[in-house]
Amino acid sequence: MKGYIAFVKKEFTENMKNYRFIVLFAVFLIFGIMSAFLAKFTPEILSALAADMEMTSEPVALDAWKQFYKNISSVGFSAFIILFGSCLSNEYSKGTLVLMITKGLSRKAVILAKYTVAATLMTISYWIAYVAAYGYTALLWNNTNLSNVALAAFSLWIAGFLYLSILMIGCVIFKQIFTSILFTGGIVALISLLEMIEPIEKFNPFILTSKNIDLISGEVIPAEFVIPAFISIILSIFGLLVAIRLFNKKQL
Amino acid sequence: MNVLTIQNLSKSFGKQKIIDNLNLSVPEGSIFGFIGKNGAGKTTTMKMVLGLLQPDSGEIHVCNESVCFGQTRTNQYIGYLPDVPEFYNYMTPIQYLKLSGEVIGLSKAEISKRSEELLPLVGLNGVTKQIGGFSRGMKQRLGIAQALLAQPKLLICDEPTSALDPVGRKEILDILYKISGTTTVLFSTHILSDVERICDHAAFLNEGKIAVTGTLAEIKTLHGHDSLLLEFSADKDLKLFKKQKSIEPLLLHSEENNRELILHGRDMASVQKTLFHVLAETGICPVKIELMEPSLESLFLEVVK
Repeated sequence: MKGYIAFVKKEFTENMKNYRFIVLFAVFLIFGIMSAFLAKFTPEILSALAADMEMTSEPVALDAWKQFYKNISSVGFSAFIILFGSCLSNEYSKGTLVLMITKGLSRKAVILAKYTVAATLMTISYWIAYVAAYGYTALLWNNTNLSNVALAAFSLWIAGFLYLSILMIGCVIFKQIFTSILFTGGIVALISLLEMIEPIEKFNPFILTSKNIDLISGEVIPAEFVIPAFISIILSIFGLLVAIRLFNKKQL
Repeated sequence: MNVLTIQNLSKSFGKQKIIDNLNLSVPEGSIFGFIGKNGAGKTTTMKMVLGLLQPDSGEIHVCNESVCFGQTRTNQYIGYLPDVPEFYNYMTPIQYLKLSGEVIGLSKAEISKRSEELLPLVGLNGVTKQIGGFSRGMKQRLGIAQALLAQPKLLICDEPTSALDPVGRKEILDILYKISGTTTVLFSTHILSDVERICDHAAFLNEGKIAVTGTLAEIKTLHGHDSLLLEFSADKDLKLFKKQKSIEPLLLHSEENNRELILHGRDMASVQKTLFHVLAETGICPVKIELMEPSLESLFLEVVK
């Protein structure tokens, strides 16, 4: 436990010193702020550029959230995975981890500490981006009667933990940054493909990242998110355990 | 008592057998030189002792506790210095020792007390710059400090002097010698003069096995032989010398090089008696007569042949 706490502290310092947190925070915040503005002003910009183009409909608050989920779930989480894809491989290749392990730091503590810190930093960045998006959307559209806005954000946040668990497995298996990121991307793509299989479609955690807008617009009811969210959490824990188990067997 | 015992250890990487039924014991309080060529398996052996690599078979005991791969219980007795120690570059030596101490589970007071003792010992007292700007020698010295933080019973150093300049090497060897009173030191190397300088025990690793082991004195007497070098001023002296009857049996184990003749033998006293007798009789005056000490180098070459 002492080793875990010491390593968590070290991870926090490291993520500050190597600007990983700043970059992640900036990416999320930019998309948080931009989503509302993009939705509001894209039609105006377009019509200014091409005068003969008629915009058929006025942008609404839902469009802002569309932007938010499109950007955060793709660019935001990609940045997250790319940034943290190096969290273990750097320590392998440089050999800094060996000195910690030979001091009696358990391998479990290494994985758990890295997960804790990455998850915390992702959480901070994500919810601040959400607050920014929420604030600007409220500012630009006065009367919005959208439902389940927070719940939609919550479901994407849960999926973030699953991404991180998959990334941890990738980082433990592969020594190269690129391969671990590719592995994570591959698994996530596989999960999204599974959505096409109808019988298990309702249980697929991919819903958490793809139907947020439907939840806000009221096309989907919150109950449909319960099982996928639950499965996502179980899979995240399971993934983390697998990562620890594999790491215990890893020759350093 | 032995701090470290290795029994029947084997390890392969793919089809290549690196360690083949290796047996080794390191007695408490010794400075143990672990000698072998590059790629002989020194690092592999050490990593197995540290539980970083999984042995194919065999047992390792540290302070009478069995080493399990992946688990680090026995590492509480061990301080480890890798060949090229790498640290978190953004930290200062004090910060790194603090992190190490916390990982080990030392109290704050202990950490600062040990840091105050160790940093002067390794000559990094008052160094406040980040480790990223350290030279290799400084990193090596910080490596020793972090390895000694928990007052280990056994200090394992993997080629601590290989990459250093003569001054850096001397510093590291001096530090290792200084701490040998309190800690058993096992260090791997292929620099034989380092072993001769500070070690009292040594083992030669060759083809995955320990070829020779024991105290330095034992190794020197058991293996290798004494030699006597004679240098003559002229070829005719050498020829005349070799023709003598009593010299003939000695020539069976000899080397000739220009006007030099090296005689090998187990009983140097009797060789010398014969030699001086012959010299007195024939009146040959060599320019040089030298009794050559058995060196680790000759032994090393003999072992790896």
